[in-house]
Amino acid sequence: MVSARVIRNLKKEFRNSALAKIGLLLVVGILFTAAFAPFIAPHDPTEQQLDQSELPPLGFSETTERTTSQMVEGEIQTVTETVEITPDAAHPLGTDSLGRDMLSRIIYGARTSLVVGVLGTLLAAFVGVPVGLFAGYHRGNVDDVLMRIADVSLAFPSLVLAVALIGLWGRAAVNIPDPFVVAGLAPEMPESFVLPITVVIVVGLVNWVWFARVARGEALSLRSQEYVKASRALGADDTSIIWNHVLPNAITPIIVLATVQVAAIILLESSLSFLGFSGTTLSWGFDIAQGRDYISSGQWWIASLPGLAIMFSVIGINLLGDWLRDSLDPGIEGEGGAA
Amino acid sequence: MSFGRFVLKRSLQGLGVVWGVVTVVFALRFVTPGSAINAVAPLDASQETRQAIAAELGLDQPLYVQYGQYIFDLLRGDMGFSYIRGQEVVGLVFARLPATVELALAASVVAIALSIPLGVLSATRRNQPVDYGATLFSLGGISTPNFWLGIMLILVFAVEFDVFNTSGRGVDVGDVAVSIVGSDPFVGTLLAWLAYITLPAIALGTYFMALITRLTRSGMLDELGKGYVQAARAKGLPNTLVRYKHALRNTLIPVITVLGLQLGTLIGGAVITEAVFSWPGLGTLVIDSINRRDWPVLQGSLIVIGTSFVLVNVLVDAVYAYLDPQVVND
Repeated sequence: MVSARVIRNLKKEFRNSALAKIGLLLVVGILFTAAFAPFIAPHDPTEQQLDQSELPPLGFSETTERTTSQMVEGEIQTVTETVEITPDAAHPLGTDSLGRDMLSRIIYGARTSLVVGVLGTLLAAFVGVPVGLFAGYHRGNVDDVLMRIADVSLAFPSLVLAVALIGLWGRAAVNIPDPFVVAGLAPEMPESFVLPITVVIVVGLVNWVWFARVARGEALSLRSQEYVKASRALGADDTSIIWNHVLPNAITPIIVLATVQVAAIILLESSLSFLGFSGTTLSWGFDIAQGRDYISSGQWWIASLPGLAIMFSVIGINLLGDWLRDSLDPGIEGEGGAA
Repeated sequence: MSFGRFVLKRSLQGLGVVWGVVTVVFALRFVTPGSAINAVAPLDASQETRQAIAAELGLDQPLYVQYGQYIFDLLRGDMGFSYIRGQEVVGLVFARLPATVELALAASVVAIALSIPLGVLSATRRNQPVDYGATLFSLGGISTPNFWLGIMLILVFAVEFDVFNTSGRGVDVGDVAVSIVGSDPFVGTLLAWLAYITLPAIALGTYFMALITRLTRSGMLDELGKGYVQAARAKGLPNTLVRYKHALRNTLIPVITVLGLQLGTLIGGAVITEAVFSWPGLGTLVIDSINRRDWPVLQGSLIVIGTSFVLVNVLVDAVYAYLDPQVVND
């Protein structure tokens, strides 16, 4: 339960830990970027400007060999010339192979990562926590069956199961209108956000088992507490005991797990996008896959920069998770961060 | 309960999980869009072929007969036939398995060999530069997507400095072993092996190295603060003995459990690492099968992956019980 003591611990840990401060700063920064992407992004992230393709980031210039065909004295000749490509201040992080602005794509990519991370985690918790609490509270056959299902679920690696399910179900996406653009505040930006709904469902379904395990463990130890026994003696039914007494006291480790899971699901989403198993093309993992084909020809930034965005987001969330764990319950182990 | 009985009990439980894995994979037939025949037949199959396949698979039979037949076939080592590749699934899957095992072993051996000393060093020199370095490394390591790390390694070590190969497998580790006694030059074969495996092994192993470093560090700090460590010191035992025999041993027990649970992450990581480096293992086979809608191969691969996971976890539990006899009685 969120008591005054918990708040005090959180504050104390925060004051003493530079890492917690960095983590909070990163997470707030990314949340802000994702929420206000239409105002922050300098360009429409999907707009292609082929005459501006493959521009390097500011501070770097790239020499590249261009082969052109020219008519020389009535004959077609191929001419290879070395040209220097200089960056353009309009595209501070450069452009990709289709002339799309990297900075804008990275800013918009934050939306996909965070929305999938948070929705996927909520879905996993929504499935896993009730199942885990119920099994741990009742023990016996229900618990045995649940634990065997959990074992089977764990036997399939998240990524493999996710790839298999998306391969079978397809890559559905829904368009959600962007309120800022609809209201006319950022008219030149994409009108809707593409939510890869299959990815959300699949990452939720492959990660529920971590929530079930933690919730079960908590319920197992809470069921024999005096106040739970007292409610039972007073005639409260199981559902209300679980809801009113077990869940509130099990919530701390669940929150800590949820934080780590957001990070794990962001990594999973980027892996799925990288492999082409997503419903959107505006994602950090997708851009890394695109940029991969250009690393041997010198355009290192297309694959590198979105990866840094993933890394800093996940570092921020992990630091936040460490802070919550250290201040809420020093006894919780760092299990369940599987990507 | 004796150690032997414990291992037997865990093996039987493991067998139950494998049965669950097989059942889930069998059920995948029915979540495939369209009829179950689509899951097996090539998209352009003629009506006759489809009927032949349906009859051969027993799709006209009741569900429990189909299920029984599926399990019976698996027990005989028959995982079905890939009409798309024109090959038996078993042969395809087991031809790819060694490459994945080799990659996963290379990654985990290096990760374990480096991370445990690093974690111990970090704990015993708390708040010194080596501790900050290790903490920073492990934070970065658990937060970096391994496919991106792989591409960055290619960028630096293959594009900028042309030292490693980035695609395929070259010689396998068996060739290296044979070259010790055989006629091939050993050093040359070893280098040829390393040229291919080094980058993918680093890309795959970094996450685990970071994770184990973190776990070892926090476990060691916990143990070093406990009463028995102080008692051992008070008795006058040398510091190294206290640290490495007593504290480290107790630290490793929970580390081993987490490693067993994280094995799925290792296999999942191998899938994507293989995709980056075109490593000819099970991972590339899985992705390829999905893209070609070759469901029998996907099903076979999933069964092998799930079964390997269970097998390794039973082994891990046996090691665990050997190190800490208390768990046998739980």
